[in-house]
Amino acid sequence: MCIPLLTQSDSSSLKRRKRGKFDLWISLCLLGIWAAPAQAQNLESGEQLYRTLCARCHGMLGEGGEGPSLKRAQLLHAPDDDSLVSVIVGGIPGTGMPGSRQLRGGDGVDVAAYVRSLGQLPPETMPGDPNAGERIYRNEGNCASCHILDGEGTGIGPELSQVGQRRNLAYLRRALTDPAAEQPRLVDRYRGSLNAFLTVRIVSEYGSFEGMRVNEDAFSVQMRDLAGTIYSFDKADLISYEKALGHSLMPGYAATLSTQQVDDVVSYLMSLR
Amino acid sequence: MRLTTITLVSAILITSPVYSDVPYTALLADENNGADWLSYSGGYKSERFSPLNQITPLNVDQLKVMWAYQMQATGISGAGLQESTPVVAGDVMYLTESPSSVTALDTRTGRMLWHFVPDISNEVLNIGFPRINRGVALLDDKVYVATLDARLFALDANTGAVRWQTTVADNSLGFSLTLAPLALDGKIIVGVSGAEAGVRAFIDAYDADSGEQIWRTYTVPAPGEPGSETWQGDDWQTGGGSTWLTGSFDPELDLLYWTTGNPAPDWNGDLRPGDNLFTCSVLALDPDTGEMRWHFQYTPHDTHDWDANQIPVLVDGEFQGRERKLLALANRNAFYYLLDRETGEYLLGEEYSYQTWAEGIDDSGRPIVIPGSDPTREGNLVWPSLQGATNWFSPSYNPNTEQFFVANRRMGAIYFKADVEYRPGQPFLGGGEQALDGDQASGAVLALDGMTGAQQWEFELQTPPWSGVMATGGGLVFGSSNEGQFFALDASDGSPLWNFNTGAHIRTNPMGFAVDDNQRVAIIGGQTLFVFGLE
Ligand code: HEC
Ligand code: HEC
Repeated sequence: MCIPLLTQSDSSSLKRRKRGKFDLWISLCLLGIWAAPAQAQNLESGEQLYRTLCARCHGMLGEGGEGPSLKRAQLLHAPDDDSLVSVIVGGIPGTGMPGSRQLRGGDGVDVAAYVRSLGQLPPETMPGDPNAGERIYRNEGNCASCHILDGEGTGIGPELSQVGQRRNLAYLRRALTDPAAEQPRLVDRYRGSLNAFLTVRIVSEYGSFEGMRVNEDAFSVQMRDLAGTIYSFDKADLISYEKALGHSLMPGYAATLSTQQVDDVVSYLMSLR
Repeated sequence: MRLTTITLVSAILITSPVYSDVPYTALLADENNGADWLSYSGGYKSERFSPLNQITPLNVDQLKVMWAYQMQATGISGAGLQESTPVVAGDVMYLTESPSSVTALDTRTGRMLWHFVPDISNEVLNIGFPRINRGVALLDDKVYVATLDARLFALDANTGAVRWQTTVADNSLGFSLTLAPLALDGKIIVGVSGAEAGVRAFIDAYDADSGEQIWRTYTVPAPGEPGSETWQGDDWQTGGGSTWLTGSFDPELDLLYWTTGNPAPDWNGDLRPGDNLFTCSVLALDPDTGEMRWHFQYTPHDTHDWDANQIPVLVDGEFQGRERKLLALANRNAFYYLLDRETGEYLLGEEYSYQTWAEGIDDSGRPIVIPGSDPTREGNLVWPSLQGATNWFSPSYNPNTEQFFVANRRMGAIYFKADVEYRPGQPFLGGGEQALDGDQASGAVLALDGMTGAQQWEFELQTPPWSGVMATGGGLVFGSSNEGQFFALDASDGSPLWNFNTGAHIRTNPMGFAVDDNQRVAIIGGQTLFVFGLE
């Protein structure tokens, strides 16, 4: 994925700013120039160092945590191998990404090779017909009622404009058939990775509300409902507050679409790069 | 700059002296002196208790920001977190800014009096922790700051000019100093970070006037020394046992108490068989010679990075029918301990936070470890996470109510073990963790009965906090959150009475003082120090 897991509105503005640059890297990626030709033993020592230095923030398998997921073909701050090494050794000033100066010399290159290997999503074959998928997206799927794609639609769920870059086939199929299985996370430097679309149910003296948590602290919670209205509640005033972990406000399409149709929609999403 | 300082100081001198000396006798009286806050924990007992009682549950909702101070930009990368506790002497506040700068402010207006920036290279090593500093020590006419590149500076309290500096240890081996030094009578005590780089750590005493080293006590014994039987081969040379948090002092018993951190490497215990004394311990030292009088090891042969570098709080009270001098510590390993601070005798070990590694603590104070709770190559889920059930941020003790308040992290982690070889100035960890963070974790402020460890109340936080607490004579407990709120709880039942959104994560401790007899409470949120008061 080429955009970091910030809030959805943040990522769309980032995308607009950096469009040209991303296009360039996408083409390099397709040409296969992307992958660093890493040696086996470099990768091994890189993995060792990664586990000790980076895993506590980026996850043992690169899945993210306090820092963003590194299982992404394109890294915002590290478009090429040189800049990746300098991010690793020098950190990203002004953010939660510390430098590992002890990796100057060959070790930084090893870690970079390992980070690249985390991001090498093997080119996956589309399981269906992306054109048919696009028609389903626009018509019977009614996906645009909840998603913004290339500027069109309503932003209830995450923006899907480049979803094929940041998510793989298995993830996209699961997103359609079992939406609650894995939900996008919002990586907060100081709070860890929070579910960015957590369903919350709130009862206050003004009535009952269901929606997605936008933000929360010990004293208050902010929520967006399916109509797009944002509410802010003081926790002290609530009659009840439920965090419905493992629930999604996106309907599962396993029953309403055929297996073929799901494959077609997944293929369309994969083509969004 | 010099001209400005002189003008400013003399202008204020017209009304009252802006800067005041801090003799040792003043440090002895720090606990009961609500107007000042002369040392990191507000006194040698480390109670972090402000005796002032103007701000109460009835008027706390009228607190307002009296002034704020935004920190100076630094060219040192990664120095964006602030963990300093300001100190106040007379009308001057001294605080540190990451990585190791010192700022003096006029407590009435928040205007800067001087700012000292040590010449630290951007290449400085900080292995296993961020580029932060926790504060200064004051003694007589000097301000002492320990630096990330392992030096100790004595500054002129009036101007910030350097009186002396000395190199405590070699930063290229991974030694750093981030703690607020502790000032005793004529001595400055410091400890070091570096166990994540496989250092052999120590506690040092320096002559406050000259900077000469008076003694050094290693926390990992050399062959033949007491405790060396808990190590094999050369493991002691890279044994860790960092001393990175300020200790406490009992002037009557003439004992200095200092805590120690994890053995190295952190997560692969196979590489250092044995109990690994004196890591994850509290040590009682003779302040004149550094000689160890007793020790108590909280976590023998630690494999989870559960440093015992938490604040050792000196409390006096009736324990099981007998008046005793106690040392209370809420440990990173999720147990609350009471020791007899005269003898080191173990008295109590109570679980205060969810944990999955020990069935309890036996009568000798040794944890009854649940088999299979060590890190593994495949990963092993254990509570608490390596950041612990609490950490360096301070607890608070109200001696009047015998309540012990602690900010509590509730998070598990999958611990991994890996191979590692020692290389000087390189991480020496032997594994890692994948924390169960985000919505799987939470936090709280807890009130414990200081004499039993029993929980009295809890105030839940959304995520595991990185900030300490301070109780006050007005019946309040101040605390903060990652979400950026600075809040006041009713000390009797934990109910939230007031909160203020500082607009940035809070990663430090509250402190209290007075300006013209008006109570003040201070906290740093993000890069900004806020000072609150009623009037
Ligand atoms: C203390 C936590 C922490 C540690 C340790 C850490 N990182 Fe990071 N890292 C972060 C954070 C937070 C960011 C996001 C910075 C930002 O706001 O852009 C980041 C960003 C990055 C990025 C840029 C991602 C992008 O899309 O541009 C890379 C690459 C990276 N880290 C690699 C590493 C490697 C490799 C290591 C180990 C040598 C490491 N990090 C150690 C927290 C950490
Ligand atoms: C009622 C609103 C709604 C509708 C209709 C809807 N979605 Fe979603 N979608 C969501 C929400 C909310 C999320 C985020 C929570 C989650 O993943 O469970 C989401 C998540 C997703 C994701 C995961 C994105 C990521 O980066 O993790 C994909 C892919 C997706 N939707 C595709 C579709 C497609 C394709 C359709 C139409 C067939 C569709 N959605 C219809 C609300 C909706």
